[in-house]
Amino acid sequence: MKKTSKRGMVIRTIVLAVLAIAFVMPLVWMILTSLKNTNEVFAVDYHWLPSKFRWDNYKTVWTNDSMSMTRAFANTLFITIVSVIGHLIVAALAAYAFAKVDFKGKNVIFMLFLASMMIPSQATIIPRFMMFKSIGLYNNLWAVILPGWFSTTAIFMLRQFYMGLPDDLMEAAKIDGAGHLRIFAQILTPLTKPAMVSLTVLACISSWNEYLSPLIFLVKENLYTVSMAIRWYMLDDSQRYELTMAAATCSIVPIIILFLFSQKYFVEGIATAGVKG
Amino acid sequence: MKNRNRLKQNENLVGYAFVMPALVIFIVLVAFPFVFSIFLSFTDWNFLSGFKGIRLVGLENFRNLATDRTFKMALKNTFIYAIATVPTSILFALILAFMLNNKVYMKKILRFAFFIPYISNAVALATVFKFMFREDGVVNILLQSIGFSNLPNWMADTQFNKIPIILLLIWTAIGYELIIYMAALQNIPRDLYEAADLDGATAIQQFTKITFPMISPTTFYLVVVRLISAFKVFSSINIMTLGTAARGNASMVTEIYSNAFSGYKFGFASAEAVVLFAIILGVTLLNFWGQKKWVHY
Repeated sequence: MKKTSKRGMVIRTIVLAVLAIAFVMPLVWMILTSLKNTNEVFAVDYHWLPSKFRWDNYKTVWTNDSMSMTRAFANTLFITIVSVIGHLIVAALAAYAFAKVDFKGKNVIFMLFLASMMIPSQATIIPRFMMFKSIGLYNNLWAVILPGWFSTTAIFMLRQFYMGLPDDLMEAAKIDGAGHLRIFAQILTPLTKPAMVSLTVLACISSWNEYLSPLIFLVKENLYTVSMAIRWYMLDDSQRYELTMAAATCSIVPIIILFLFSQKYFVEGIATAGVKG
Repeated sequence: MKNRNRLKQNENLVGYAFVMPALVIFIVLVAFPFVFSIFLSFTDWNFLSGFKGIRLVGLENFRNLATDRTFKMALKNTFIYAIATVPTSILFALILAFMLNNKVYMKKILRFAFFIPYISNAVALATVFKFMFREDGVVNILLQSIGFSNLPNWMADTQFNKIPIILLLIWTAIGYELIIYMAALQNIPRDLYEAADLDGATAIQQFTKITFPMISPTTFYLVVVRLISAFKVFSSINIMTLGTAARGNASMVTEIYSNAFSGYKFGFASAEAVVLFAIILGVTLLNFWGQKKWVHY
């Protein structure tokens, strides 16, 4: 019995490993291509490995005056940080109210929020464009940041979390004379840390990878995000594929690092949003 | 009594204050734009002509949509993408999750490998696929080396140009579905399988009689979520088709985007957006209606 299960384990591992290698192959190709020179990329006599690892390509994309990855990283980082902080504060406040404050019309508002999950953001982009353009947020990073501050998923997830915290904690604090703001900020919210971390990671990833909003609102090249920078290299007349691949690699690395550090929270976040939500 | 009323009023104020930021953003950036989109769908409006240029035209946009060839193509393509990618990726993810949930070596590394495409930048991945599927690209070189000849120019040939896009969409979807399935499989009580083992049930019987019904709510959730996102597909297609001669790949959202932001036909594009919303709503309701037949809670 034990012997066969060990053999099964080896076979399963081999099958999965082969599939996993096939899965990451395009990414391996991306990295190898980012280290070639232009001739090697299109060589008829094809070699997977570059004749020499040209790390210079990375130096080029990071320092290129026409489209610098440094600038794109700074813009994307700003957008991501401000989006995520706003997203968490707005969601936590609303979630706390839905879970722990008894106010008139709360169910109506909550149902409205839930119903809005059905509206694809793509269906509202035209009026948003019109509004942002008329109030001067066109070509402004805030046009990409602000819509991220409202997230029904985040409100819903945190509401579940606050609801799970015992009311005794609140009652005790109330007797000591604490108001809702104190209870929210000092007593309950610190307890929601696991949910907050999962939401942070999920929100970071979606802001970092955002494409449609920057494409519509950020037309000036000095405002380009990482996604837009990759697109710029792809469309550039010089057609240097190795630079496009270097830019693409640079966009993926931070997310992988973030994932490795937060793997546990990340997986739990997705799983709770999916299985229980 | 008076005191109690004051307390109640105070609760109300606190509640509104806490919900206010979310409510304001919701009204300004979700509810109002949504209502305004519906209004615009009944107008003819070129954005460049300013607000004075808005002209009510009733159902004209929708009538034009019904005969518009590019729109019909985008609609058809979107359904093709959804049907080709959602069931395939979900099935593949389930198989992977099933294998990964058994004992394997290097479980975390393997799971990570399947997961990378999902968290990676869609634009980056689309450029990779676009380059790999060039006529002189690495995919054709590989196919040639194993004996194929007469290889297509994938993205330019209307017979083949959906294949790279479909592969890309499946590849990036699996990671998410895999994580959710793995969590769901772990929630199935072990003793169900032990009891089945004692009764002499085969592995396939165990899968169809225990695993499949137990994870059916998860499958349902994935079908709903995945179909919605398949109908909203944009980044991958926008990048894959940029600069290529063939325009046969448009999805509904790329079509809305090009009518709105290249042609500034805001009225027409809004009508397309309304149709997109109606389809997503319809498909989701259909799913909820159909779940009674196969989902066990």
